[in-house]
Amino acid sequence: MRDAVIQSCSFWAAVAVYALSTVLHFAGLSFERPRLAGWGRGLAAAGLAPHACALALRWAEVGHGPWNTRYEVLSSQAFVVVALWLVASVLAPGLRGAGALVVPCALLLLGWAVSTFGLKTEVPIVFKSCWLALHVAFAKLFAGSAVLASACAVAYLRKRRRPASLRALPRPEVLDLHAHQLLLLSFLCLGVMIVAGSLWANQAWGRYWAWDPMETSSLATWIAFAVILHLRVLHRWSGPRMAWLTLLALAFTATTLYAVAAVVPTIHASYMVTQ
Amino acid sequence: MRWSIVRGSPLVPLLRSPGFARATLVYLASYAGVGAWLPRARLAPVPGWAHAIGLEAPFSSPLFLVGCAALFASTCACTWGKASRARRIFRGELPPGSTVLRARTAADLEAFLRQRGFRGQGPVRRRLAAGLWGSWLLHAGLLVLMVGALGQQAFYDGGSFELAPGEALRLDEPGRISARSRGLLAPAQPPALEVVLREFDPRHHEPGYAPDRRSLLAARLVGSGWRSAALDRAQGLDLEGGVRLYQANPTGLALVLSPAEGPLRSVHLHGTGRIMEGALPRPGAEPLRFEASSERGLLDPDGTGAIRVLLRSGEGTRELRPGETFAMGGGWATLLGMAWWSGFSYARSPGMPAVLAGFGLILLGCAALVLPAGVARLGGGEARLFAVRGGEQLRSEWERWAPGRRGSGDA
Repeated sequence: MRDAVIQSCSFWAAVAVYALSTVLHFAGLSFERPRLAGWGRGLAAAGLAPHACALALRWAEVGHGPWNTRYEVLSSQAFVVVALWLVASVLAPGLRGAGALVVPCALLLLGWAVSTFGLKTEVPIVFKSCWLALHVAFAKLFAGSAVLASACAVAYLRKRRRPASLRALPRPEVLDLHAHQLLLLSFLCLGVMIVAGSLWANQAWGRYWAWDPMETSSLATWIAFAVILHLRVLHRWSGPRMAWLTLLALAFTATTLYAVAAVVPTIHASYMVTQ
Repeated sequence: MRWSIVRGSPLVPLLRSPGFARATLVYLASYAGVGAWLPRARLAPVPGWAHAIGLEAPFSSPLFLVGCAALFASTCACTWGKASRARRIFRGELPPGSTVLRARTAADLEAFLRQRGFRGQGPVRRRLAAGLWGSWLLHAGLLVLMVGALGQQAFYDGGSFELAPGEALRLDEPGRISARSRGLLAPAQPPALEVVLREFDPRHHEPGYAPDRRSLLAARLVGSGWRSAALDRAQGLDLEGGVRLYQANPTGLALVLSPAEGPLRSVHLHGTGRIMEGALPRPGAEPLRFEASSERGLLDPDGTGAIRVLLRSGEGTRELRPGETFAMGGGWATLLGMAWWSGFSYARSPGMPAVLAGFGLILLGCAALVLPAGVARLGGGEARLFAVRGGEQLRSEWERWAPGRRGSGDA
């Protein structure tokens, strides 16, 4: 009972901190005060602590990782998006300003996640596999890096149109390069996700591929990413066209991870976002 | 001679062209995307034209196989020469169009390159050179995967069977296997495997997991020793000869019958919800049909409740209770009680190592692609530079670079 209260308080504390971080990021951009955005970044980093606490307590309570209900899936996804952005912004300081897109995105995910906060279910025995952890971890990294790539693409489009805007962000060419790098990372993570899922299926059912709608959609997304990367590498596409294609990649990502599971009958549906 | 004919063919430039690769990928992505949504469309009757071109099974239809063949041909043509190109770049033979870093001072240029991660002595400096092979590894991995998947499909053999506790069967006996899936080069007969189900629990509760099926069975390939193991839906059981057994989803009730002569028999009942049916063939007569109805569903957490069994035959319909006898063949049989039957599947897939090798190469290639590899060649006070990405960015940074300032020129 006490753990449940701490879990709930931690979750709402994380939501409050991310909300404040969002406000500071927007204020920093609107009033061109980089310091406010810096505080927003610090708050987002601080928000990871209660968020991690809420996730860990849920893990301990239900006895499995964050992969069974909408709350578990989306809340952990939001955590990975914010953490990935913070790590990326340490490696590439130009990405700090992308927080204005990343933190609100995490906040929206938490808003969707909270609709099943009270739902706690046991996982099927088929989840007893080391491949599952790899499959889910890379699915989250795939989505997180696609969100970050898209944040760079949006910032690129904005800065190209109004060069004086978003001063906290680097030059458009650098944003374009970051979007490409993150898309490559996303492509890798999606590949690992698909392969780990295949090996898991082979372990449990003796077939590594069954053309389940979710599997097929992941493959279509991987091929779509390959097309976009071909256009960049072979045809030297860059600039606005590539930025729009990066946003298209995000649409593919969201469709695969959320829309297919929610709409089409698939073995993935029961333990993703539908409950 | 044969190679020069292929080389001279106009087909090769077409297959190597980025446009062909792009068109193939767009086609396959669109097709797979549509295929992912088809299960919804399947709720409606399939139109004749879709049936005619095999869209009922979209991923074995000619439309899909042609796309795969085009992808294979394009990947093959694109992979040819990629490794030698990577080797040349590694040696410092940079391709035309490489970025040029104009001279400021030679010492500055070396320091700049060092600060940007380029290492080495002499005129050629490299950064994360493994990344130069990323594209080749990815393409080679795709080829291995496609060949591997083809081989795996050709040799794959799998099927399903049912057992009730105490029952034994040999998979290669006629009529024992249902839903058999066999590749063109797979053996005609299922494996000579004997399987005995010792126990079955349809709602076994392992801490941390939802109740699920769990079996205790023994199996052996004819001529080898028995192997007993507990089997659940988490993992298959490896046997000799590359055969694996899996706990399958289907389960149901079975009537356990004791004939007047011979061993115990069971009749497996099938159905959804609370009504299940089964039949017992009789030589030269209509089969005996059994129907069981339960108070609650089969896997209801509170159990099935009371079960009523009806026996239908040419003589009429009657209710059958445990201990009651009925005419069967030329003699009599007694209904001893009810048990569960469980579904299992077997698979032998000798092509899997090739598929796994393809997976491994693809992932290795993807990981190498993420590396910001580069090669710089110093000479004449300037440097020519090849970077898998960000070459122009490096040039721009060089133009703003001041020694001693880490990251100057960024942003």
